[in-house]
Amino acid sequence: MVCGAVLVAGCGGSESGGPVTLNWFVATQPGGSIQKVAKDCSAASNGRYSIDVQLLPTDASQQREQLVRRLAAKDSTVDLIGMDVIWTGEFANAGWIAPFPKAEATEVTKDVFPSVVKTASFENKVYGAPFNSNTQLLWYRKDLVKKAPTTWDQMISEADKLAAQGKPALIQVQANKYEGFTVWFNALVDSAGGSILSGPTTVSLPEGPTEDAMKVMGTLAASPAAAPNISTSDEDTTRIGFEDGSSAFMVNYTFAYASAQANAPGVFKNMGFARYPRVVANKPSAPPLGGFNIGVGAYSTHQDLAFDAAACIGGDKSELTATELDGLPPSREDLYTNKVVTKAYPGFSQLVKESIDAAGPRPLTPAYQDVSLAIQDTLQPPDRIDPSDVPSTYDELKSRLEDAVNGKGLF
Amino acid sequence: MRRGTREYSAWSFAMLLVLLFSLLPIVWIISLSLKTPKTVGDGRFLPAGGEWTLKNYKVLFEGGFDNSPFIHPLINSIAIALIATAIAIVLAAFAAYAIARLNFPGKSIILGGALAIAMFPAISTIGPLFDMWRSIGLYDTYLGLIIPYLTFSLPLAIYTLVAFYREIPWDLEQAAQVDGATPFQAFRRVILPLAAPGTFTAAILVFIFCWNDFLFAITLTSSNNARTVPAALAFFTGESQFTQPTGNIAAAAVIVTIPIIIFVLFFQRRIVAGLTAGAVKG
Amino acid sequence: MAGRLRLGGRRGVTDRAREERRLGWMLCAPAVIAMLLVTAYPIGYAVVLSLQHIDLRFPDQGGWVGLSNYQTVLSSPLWWTDVLNTVIITIISVTIELALGMALALIMHRAIFGRGLVRTSVLIPYGIVTVVAAFAWFFAFDPSSGFVNQLPLIADDKAWFGDRWSAIGVIIAAEVWKTTPFMALLLLAGLTTIDDGLYEAAKVDGANAVQRFFRITLPLMKPAILVALLFRTLDAFRIFDTIFIMTRGAQNTESVSILGYNQIISRTNLGLGSAVSVLIFIMVLLIAFAFVRLLGVRMAEGRPGT
Repeated sequence: MVCGAVLVAGCGGSESGGPVTLNWFVATQPGGSIQKVAKDCSAASNGRYSIDVQLLPTDASQQREQLVRRLAAKDSTVDLIGMDVIWTGEFANAGWIAPFPKAEATEVTKDVFPSVVKTASFENKVYGAPFNSNTQLLWYRKDLVKKAPTTWDQMISEADKLAAQGKPALIQVQANKYEGFTVWFNALVDSAGGSILSGPTTVSLPEGPTEDAMKVMGTLAASPAAAPNISTSDEDTTRIGFEDGSSAFMVNYTFAYASAQANAPGVFKNMGFARYPRVVANKPSAPPLGGFNIGVGAYSTHQDLAFDAAACIGGDKSELTATELDGLPPSREDLYTNKVVTKAYPGFSQLVKESIDAAGPRPLTPAYQDVSLAIQDTLQPPDRIDPSDVPSTYDELKSRLEDAVNGKGLF
Repeated sequence: MRRGTREYSAWSFAMLLVLLFSLLPIVWIISLSLKTPKTVGDGRFLPAGGEWTLKNYKVLFEGGFDNSPFIHPLINSIAIALIATAIAIVLAAFAAYAIARLNFPGKSIILGGALAIAMFPAISTIGPLFDMWRSIGLYDTYLGLIIPYLTFSLPLAIYTLVAFYREIPWDLEQAAQVDGATPFQAFRRVILPLAAPGTFTAAILVFIFCWNDFLFAITLTSSNNARTVPAALAFFTGESQFTQPTGNIAAAAVIVTIPIIIFVLFFQRRIVAGLTAGAVKG
Repeated sequence: MAGRLRLGGRRGVTDRAREERRLGWMLCAPAVIAMLLVTAYPIGYAVVLSLQHIDLRFPDQGGWVGLSNYQTVLSSPLWWTDVLNTVIITIISVTIELALGMALALIMHRAIFGRGLVRTSVLIPYGIVTVVAAFAWFFAFDPSSGFVNQLPLIADDKAWFGDRWSAIGVIIAAEVWKTTPFMALLLLAGLTTIDDGLYEAAKVDGANAVQRFFRITLPLMKPAILVALLFRTLDAFRIFDTIFIMTRGAQNTESVSILGYNQIISRTNLGLGSAVSVLIFIMVLLIAFAFVRLLGVRMAEGRPGT
């Protein structure tokens, strides 16, 4: 499998002397950054390998479905994988991706945000080269609110006031029964100072912070500021809801800025940005963390070359390409003063950097899908949480998570 | 027989209701296909301010045969559905004729088994099927999709045709055999034409099944070699990673419905061919 | 006619009967092979998996566990809620589809003008890609981006998918719209086999339209109705796409198929998921059995008198 430390062109290659084809299984990005990165890194390899992009479906859970199917079948054509940050623990524990050797591991994590490095690691080994990151900001209407609220409770009561005055007042948040809901819940719990898990199979879920998080959800869902379609809202419907002028606040990823600029100039000129709201007044918020890491397939016959390619894809040049063509935040801290990044995020590039730095990764466990499903099963839609009686919901969630972490029970 | 205006207006009203029921959501899909990401969420049939766009349609065909996200899958869909339908009808006609008209042990087992096969949740079968096809080499090929389509559409085709063949009077066959025809000739010359309505009905059902299938298409293909349109839709992207390509998908759906319309238009007249008076009376 | 008599009796069969048997098997063979080739291994494998604890993410923890997967499923309230949802959706949508389908079939058969137009437009909903149709309905009913809430008599911010029963209502409406053509097509094909002469004779005898329908049309259409009902019910019971796109099973609208999907695909717990699939299969078998026994679908009947 691994051809030793010596990188010889003919090692595992299909034709002697020709470049080895590395298959990169990844979903395409609309701006074409994936294809460009593949081309650039192939060129930079000086003829050793050529990266062939194998497209995956646009939806993240469908990407995972395709990858799991191939990896479970020990597909040796899978060399490189574009992994969502939440798959690392699962893929690593199942033996589907290869740990990066020490030298490469150091290279791909150099200058990368610590929170992002966590998402690419499992059991103290690095399993992915961080490529792009992502985080959510609070977007608000400057013409309706002078200063951005700092906490969720503040935001909800400001929205209530606006609603009473008959002005646009909705708070857009993703709360459909999908991964985006877990993103929200995790961010709330982490912002309140707790965490969902404290180890790959250990439930933490301290009562205080969790109940604070649940109260925020329940209060928002019950207030007049909740969008009528909140229980089926995702990133797209929330940006539509903000762009049509009916909302005063929205939490969403960085794409919302470019989208509003293109689709709703009227709303855009009053669009302000701020850090993700806090749950507790004196605790800085832990914004959501998204992004992609590049993993190397464990059954690949060109692992050496694949690690090399992964390092290139996770390198400065590729990350800046992704920012320039698709507006994706880089995972390397030192790039945030680069003019490509400041151009993509005019006036809020430092805010994005600060948010990713403070971000709370979602639980790092092989049973992540179970955990996420358990959370959705118990808490979605948010209007089923009664803010005045969270302890019973808390108990239910805790017992479900105990089952989930061990892969037990039916979800 | 003169028809009064009351009859005409009653029928006109009925037809209007039918058209409204069938086509209103279609009109909605068409209107979505003409909207930009700006107006897709405005909830109107006609975009405000006259913001129509044909861009959603243009994008589908950009890049020609090799690079467009849509042309090759469309051709795959048409070819695979036609081939699978043709084979399915032939196989089902043979089996249905045998079951309806001949005597042999094992009929109920075949019928019951066919039903059981069609009923097993497909989600459990696609994993092993994926492994099987990859080892045999049928993965990402036309045949790799045609065979499962046959499997899962044959039961319905067989049942439909059996119900039809049973309606055809026994005398016809016996008369043909008294005249010296073999069972096969009796089948071809006498039964088949009379079973035309059932045959074309079964053909439409099988075609639409193959056309609409998503699960097998997305599992058993990995490139435009054999990917059909429903699976190709999963690869459409919007303006950003998080934006739904609503307009593009709606445009693709509209275009993909056109072959269905042609197919149905062509076959519907043959569905009601009915029994000819001469052959039946007596 | 002499060759038809069973001269062999109990001691054996005549040449003709044997030839008929061989012909019967030969004609069925291609279809049977096509069906078994694809499903024999996967179905068998699924049953075997359901008796094991297999989770792709924990490859070291495999092993035979007998019926414990089934126990987990059957003792879970989530399973029974989903069964209830599935049964409700199935019964309501199939009933509506039967009635509507019959009406449409009659119109398609008897329309005095525009038959081609009516028949084609009735079938178009069935031909639209399922996921796109479900998404279009979802979008139409969404409070912020759809048109339904802007119709008169409907509250502007009615959250159709925020409440269990209104969500189920929209799901049923979408399903009915999509698959009534299926029923209508099969019923139309059945209608065409009825000889017009019977109606003429009945008219002469003084029967009115309603009596003609119930005394002639319905009984003669029985085989077509039963085939349509059988297949549609079996399909409706396995509803997946529409619910997945509209609510993903939230608000207690989940169906048993979505449950199976969650176990097999999201959790890669193949043992549990296969158990769910086998249980779905058994329930669908029971439904088919009920159809055959109670409603007398007698398909395997051969020539009268044999």
